[in-house]
Amino acid sequence: MRASRVASRIIACLDVKEGRVVKGTRFENLRDQGDPVELARRYDEEGIDELVFLDISATNEGRKARAAWVMAVAKELSIPFTVGGGVSRPEDVRELLRSGADKVAINSAAVKNRGLVEECAAIFGSQCVVLAIDGKRDPDGEHRVYVNAGKTPTDLLVEAWAREGVARGAGEILLTSMDRDGTREGFDLEMLAKVTPVSAPVIASGGAGSMDHFSDALVAGASAVLAASLFHEKILEVSALKAFLAARGHTVRLP
Amino acid sequence: MTTRSAPVVVLDYGAGNLASLAGALERESLVAVVRDSAASLPDAGTLVLPGVGHFRAAKEALVERGLWKVLEDAIVSGRPVVGVCLGLQLLAEGSEEAPGERGLGAFRGICTRLPASVKVPHMGFSEVEARALPDYVPPPPRYVYFVHSYALPVTEETALVATHGVDFSAACAKGSTFGIQGHPERSGREGQRFLGELLRRIARREEARS
Repeated sequence: MRASRVASRIIACLDVKEGRVVKGTRFENLRDQGDPVELARRYDEEGIDELVFLDISATNEGRKARAAWVMAVAKELSIPFTVGGGVSRPEDVRELLRSGADKVAINSAAVKNRGLVEECAAIFGSQCVVLAIDGKRDPDGEHRVYVNAGKTPTDLLVEAWAREGVARGAGEILLTSMDRDGTREGFDLEMLAKVTPVSAPVIASGGAGSMDHFSDALVAGASAVLAASLFHEKILEVSALKAFLAARGHTVRLP
Repeated sequence: MTTRSAPVVVLDYGAGNLASLAGALERESLVAVVRDSAASLPDAGTLVLPGVGHFRAAKEALVERGLWKVLEDAIVSGRPVVGVCLGLQLLAEGSEEAPGERGLGAFRGICTRLPASVKVPHMGFSEVEARALPDYVPPPPRYVYFVHSYALPVTEETALVATHGVDFSAACAKGSTFGIQGHPERSGREGQRFLGELLRRIARREEARS
């Protein structure tokens, strides 16, 4: 048999606030982008490989009743999806999995409670535990972990935290550059290269603006590349992006 | 065409992802019921054993709910069982994930951890290749979505092969027991159709036998 590699995944991210998909720049200036179920259906048809939903209001404003839209999305989709935002206990993970999420992303709570990733991985398996890391470049060039929707700096550096997260059982790292988020200037390849040596897959997030940017992130070792408004606003077609990446020698799932 | 066949019985043991599977079955217009204990379990119809989670935690939950015994009996009596992801691994003899813990033993072999030479978990779409594919199994989708860290090595019961650092059983079949390591319910429209067609063919086969 051909030693086929796993296809590099193209992921659309939907930031959800109060049940609506929104997108801002550097975590601020949110713009309405539509209904999560409608967007999910569209992406499935267009051939995206996976979806990530982040309830960006949840961490600061408390846990919301997400079960309804998660369930509606699960019924629509024939591809996997991750849900995150305000996940702080194994019960949150259980509820999201039961509502139909394939994976659950944990961000701030994993920093505050270092045992959380381990606990969730032991109950539900590493493969559904995604450690979401929001990273920002310090003036000295180090990349620092921020929590609480990017509002609070921590004493952790992204590469050390990613390593620790994987050692504790995270099955995937969702690495978002706060500097690049929404700017379309390209992924923070420097930060990405610090994290991709971990043994788990890494999703590059924040800054996608062109097809070349996706290719650059895959070359830097990302297993998956994520974008939001670029897809929501139809600036990039999924099929055209995949054809481009295939021509560049990347393995992608083609229709 | 609608037949009055027995419903598909999805086993719920608290750690599995049921909504995605139930959604796929619904989109395929299959009649499915979800059961979390041996009581009130229909006595016919394919048992679907979904899977997200840890081998030992899943086994303990299944034993606690009396469903482990239901599965053991099904394997002996020839009632169809379809295991998905961890479901396939539970149908094997055991797994390195839970050393010493016995699996259902429908398939030969012990699941092993994927090699450290590749990213683990194996997460994403990979191509699969047919091996000993029983005639009741429809043509598989070209790409199957995988999310797993352990896998059953290739044996003579291997129905589909995939590669991630090493060749492994992407699907296994023995008698009326079928297991698939990937998630057809999350493998795009093609995967969903495969799952629907598989369950329809198994049901027709059962009807023909009874």
